[in-house]
Amino acid sequence: MTKDFSGKDFSGLGRRGLLGATIGLGAAALGSVGLARPHVARAATTINIGFFTETKPTNIVKAQSLLEKATGQTVNWTEYGSGAEINAAITAGGADIGFGSGSVPAAAGISQGLPVILVGLVDDIGPAEELTVRASANIRTPADLKGHKIATPFGSTSHFRLLGLLKTNGLTQRDVTVVDLRPDAIVAAWTRGDIDGAYVWAPAKSKLLANGGTVFPTWEKLDAAGYVVADTILARTGFAEQQPQAVTALLRVYGQALALYRNQPVEAAQVVATAAGVTPEVAASDLKEYNFVSLRDQLTPEWLGTPGKPGNFANVLHHTAEFLAEQKSIRSAAPLAAFQKAIRTEFLQQALA
Amino acid sequence: MAADNPAPLTRLWAWRFGSLVLVVATWAAVTTSGLVPEVFLPSPHALGTAAVEMVTEGYKDRPLWEHIGLSLMRVFTGFGLGALVGTALGLLMGWRASVNAVFSPFVEFLRPLPQLAYLVLLIVWLGIGESPKIVLLFLAALPVAAVAARDGVRRADPTRIAAARMLGASDWQIFKHVILPSALPEILIGARLALGIVYGTLIAAEIIAGSTGLGWMIVDAGRFLRSDQVFVGIFIIGFMGLALDRLLVFVERRIVHWAGR
Repeated sequence: MTKDFSGKDFSGLGRRGLLGATIGLGAAALGSVGLARPHVARAATTINIGFFTETKPTNIVKAQSLLEKATGQTVNWTEYGSGAEINAAITAGGADIGFGSGSVPAAAGISQGLPVILVGLVDDIGPAEELTVRASANIRTPADLKGHKIATPFGSTSHFRLLGLLKTNGLTQRDVTVVDLRPDAIVAAWTRGDIDGAYVWAPAKSKLLANGGTVFPTWEKLDAAGYVVADTILARTGFAEQQPQAVTALLRVYGQALALYRNQPVEAAQVVATAAGVTPEVAASDLKEYNFVSLRDQLTPEWLGTPGKPGNFANVLHHTAEFLAEQKSIRSAAPLAAFQKAIRTEFLQQALA
Repeated sequence: MAADNPAPLTRLWAWRFGSLVLVVATWAAVTTSGLVPEVFLPSPHALGTAAVEMVTEGYKDRPLWEHIGLSLMRVFTGFGLGALVGTALGLLMGWRASVNAVFSPFVEFLRPLPQLAYLVLLIVWLGIGESPKIVLLFLAALPVAAVAARDGVRRADPTRIAAARMLGASDWQIFKHVILPSALPEILIGARLALGIVYGTLIAAEIIAGSTGLGWMIVDAGRFLRSDQVFVGIFIIGFMGLALDRLLVFVERRIVHWAGR
């Protein structure tokens, strides 16, 4: 408190008056921050990014401090265990960006009316998440899966694909025992011989393949049946409104990271390897599995579309949400329009401008 | 203490009832007014709908009673074995200093260890079936029961032991007629504590390759922010814990009716 405030005439206002004055001042201060141009807001604000340590170009952005350099803002990188955790953090206001959240938590979050929008894609998962089965188990057709134990991290894009595989082949979770294991535990259970298959991503997947596993190809048929999975860039709605320039900057630097990977793959793999704690060879082979859709391609009808012309990805999310609702994971799926509204492509356009 | 403040029993019940009504009313008010979004706190109505759905249709391909039954089976097996082995070990540790010297380093180390710390090790050693879950609960119960039994034995009155020996009682007779009755109240308090800890460890145990059990159910529902289902799970697990604790208190009163008098 300054001296003027402790003056006698001020105390005549009483406690309520003081409270009112404080609120007024606070509102004025907030208002001025909101109205001020970026150079004022820049010094005061932090960007809270939720991410995963993965062998992907997202980690180039972090390792080379691209966003810090582009915005001059402090960026707070927090690692999360799953997209669902990032959803919770965004809802609570603790995270501004979900950098690499899967399409399954994205569809769930939008359906549940969380304050979240989808501003871009990290990758199209394609064959990077795939079913691996023990070669000795003689699993040739989906029907052969009957009676076997298959592990996957529940709530993930892999889990969604596995359940899609069962459903499209008329199998239930009574025929195939689906167990919930985190990727590191999948490797442990596989080594012990407790499971005969796992739907998971690298590096766990590579370890299974190196340890008597073989790929059971499912993704192309599942993609055709609508079980497309992707990793996305989510933003807290309030954050995107207050700091659209930060969202655009993030997309722009992700574009730079993708360009680095495209033009200098060896160097990019090196950076990713250091960030993720794997060898450059592992990073290079992991990177090859994903289809990193360029920012320009994300704006095509096949993916996100453009403002006013929603692309196919809204359908993908809608289908995902319907499946989740059928599984009783979420209460109900939002209508297609809600997904079209939650996919906001103007940030991508500005990043490319 | 009721003895210090002799309020009529009905008045106490009125207070208890009043506090519950107040909490439920506040809950209904903040949720139905839209002050608190559904993901943070589901409305009583949403909770009721979720509860009915879970009772009638089960949770993720399994009826609710199956989840409850599996959890109870794990708790009783883990707690039963842990309390039995722990108590036997504790009695020996209290009775013979050499046994205590051999086992106390392990028991004392294990007792404060968070069970999540060795979760992955249990998967590596024991796989993903029922055994790692039960072993985890067993390891949670054992040290608590052992320490309680040991302290109980030490509490036995040395003059009574000496008197029994003077009267010509054998070691076994002294153990059976002097030490065990003195240690029983402590043993049962230890059992009650151990059950609480085992029950609290249930969620950790069921994270191991789950898809069954109340603990797993709550974790799984939380993954999609289904706070309604999470709350239903919490209520079930909470009331069951209360019932189990009351059961042990009942057993305690039957066996050591003299304690505290």
